[in-house]
Amino acid sequence: MLRWKYSRPLLGVLIILLFAAPFLGNNPLSHPGLQQTMAVAFLYGALALTYDLLFGFTGLLSFGHALFFASGMYLAVLFINHDVLVWWLAVIAAVALSTVLAIIIGSASLRTGGITFAMVTLAFAEAGHVVISRDFGGFTNGENGVALNADKVPSIFIGVFNTKYLFWISLATLVVVYFITWWITESSAGRVFAALRDNETRVAVLGLKPTRFKLLSFVIAAAMASFIGVVMLMVSGSAAPRFASADVTIALLLMVILGGAVTRWGAVIGGIVYSVASTRLQDLSQTTALHSVPKIISGPLSEPAFTLGLLFIFVVMFAPGGFSGAYYALRLRVISKK
Amino acid sequence: MDTFMLIGITGIGLGALYFLVASGLSLIYGLMGVLNFAHGSFLTVGAFVGLWFSTQVVHVSNTWTFIAAMIVGGLASGLFALIVERVVITRLYERHIDQALVTVGISLVVGAVLAGWFGNDLRLLPTPPWFINTVSIGSAHIPVDRFLYIAVALILLIANTALLRYSRIGLVIRAGVENRQMVAALGINVRLAFSAVFFLGGFAAGIGGVLVSAYSNGVSPLIAGTYLIYGFIVVVIGGMGSVPGSFLAAMVIGVIKQYANYYSPGLGDFVVVFLLAGVLLLRPQGLLGKVKP
Repeated sequence: MLRWKYSRPLLGVLIILLFAAPFLGNNPLSHPGLQQTMAVAFLYGALALTYDLLFGFTGLLSFGHALFFASGMYLAVLFINHDVLVWWLAVIAAVALSTVLAIIIGSASLRTGGITFAMVTLAFAEAGHVVISRDFGGFTNGENGVALNADKVPSIFIGVFNTKYLFWISLATLVVVYFITWWITESSAGRVFAALRDNETRVAVLGLKPTRFKLLSFVIAAAMASFIGVVMLMVSGSAAPRFASADVTIALLLMVILGGAVTRWGAVIGGIVYSVASTRLQDLSQTTALHSVPKIISGPLSEPAFTLGLLFIFVVMFAPGGFSGAYYALRLRVISKK
Repeated sequence: MDTFMLIGITGIGLGALYFLVASGLSLIYGLMGVLNFAHGSFLTVGAFVGLWFSTQVVHVSNTWTFIAAMIVGGLASGLFALIVERVVITRLYERHIDQALVTVGISLVVGAVLAGWFGNDLRLLPTPPWFINTVSIGSAHIPVDRFLYIAVALILLIANTALLRYSRIGLVIRAGVENRQMVAALGINVRLAFSAVFFLGGFAAGIGGVLVSAYSNGVSPLIAGTYLIYGFIVVVIGGMGSVPGSFLAAMVIGVIKQYANYYSPGLGDFVVVFLLAGVLLLRPQGLLGKVKP
């Protein structure tokens, strides 16, 4: 991959600056409001990266990724609130059980491939969403979700004043997920993932078991997603059914495609920008500037999905590399001119 | 016994609605390999046009205006599907993943446009007065609209089968589902069959949209959600590309779902997904699907 020699040091400086930001006097990031927004954005960046591992690197179009994100979240909140386990053991148990769930669902879904795989994972995820939102079994409290019991977790996770800790935890989660993904995709298993995406038959002919490697990728991505779900539980303070819906997976797909698949940083940027944009676009729609436009135009414009959906169609049809792809194309042009 | 009967027929009625969505999905997938996430928006477009027709164009609601609303909704949705196919899908020829992605984008945009224009609240769709009547079979009182859904689904199944079996375009479609390259190699315009399939799928989904709105007492941009997902499940269980398979699977799923939901609310969706997992493990090609070489 085309690499700029200053990109790694700059990234290091940026991460240190972000970590230090809540301390450095009066800047935007010393306010809890933006800290919260950015914490959520970092987590979606990390989640998009796990989806990139699945979709971009391994070529598995899964519509069920949100299921594991939500299962980590719900299992953790249930274990903590019902005093089943101490909070840190609850986190480990939630990730472990979600991983087991991923092994089961992955093994069943990977009997199919390609487009059918997409449909089947969608069906499983929808079943999960129904179980959660209909309160099947009486644990999940239906549409209202489950609030995290503040007495059962360390006090640094609670309260507006402590938002900076959540900001750090989210940033740390993003960094850790980034390095794990980097390590996996550069490992020999990662090469097999990429080979599966490009030519599955050839991998099988070489004597490797395609299904086993696909399952590995599926389970690793799901395990990381469930951990991100646990952190999201801390940041948002409650588990809600909307985190389990297919809309989340579709949002992840948008993040990865808009940011650019297979470059890792593209997915992260896509996730962060999408997360911030979808809240900002909502604010923008309430501005008075739109009131002078007739409703036939202003109506759709007030829906973030309209702008993002059009952008998404454009990128899929005309600019398949997304943002990072466009960046590399531009760099290539600049270099070849020199 | 009468509850048993009531739930059974309601289940078949629900299955009929699933079939209207699934038939198009199945043919589109079977012929072109396109996983069409925009199918839900075909349903919504049909529902809104049906609403527009029955509130703005005609001001009375009787049997004939309702049938007309169904047909107008179906035609509008078919036309919309045709435009989507011509403008977007054909440009991504043979790029199946990108085709699926672009239909996701279309469903987002259509949902946002309709939500921006009309809001997400349910709007009441006028239905003929006899819709609230019940029919007595034995001691069971069954809402009469269930029979309408079943009748429409049956008519579409028969029309679909007749078209596929006895017309030239149907022959091209069937041959295309079996082996598209061969059909193209024989110099037959498969592109025309693509468009026909999209129009037919959109038409059925549009009629489905009007009926779904009658079933759920109103029209909103959000009505399509669960029907699309159930459409996918029906297609996988029934077998890709098989319209009779979709019909069978839709009926089985509708009935099982209703019985399970009666036993314990919310159980229905769960049972259906177990059924899906079972079919995938035991018969991955679906009930009536053929194994592609």
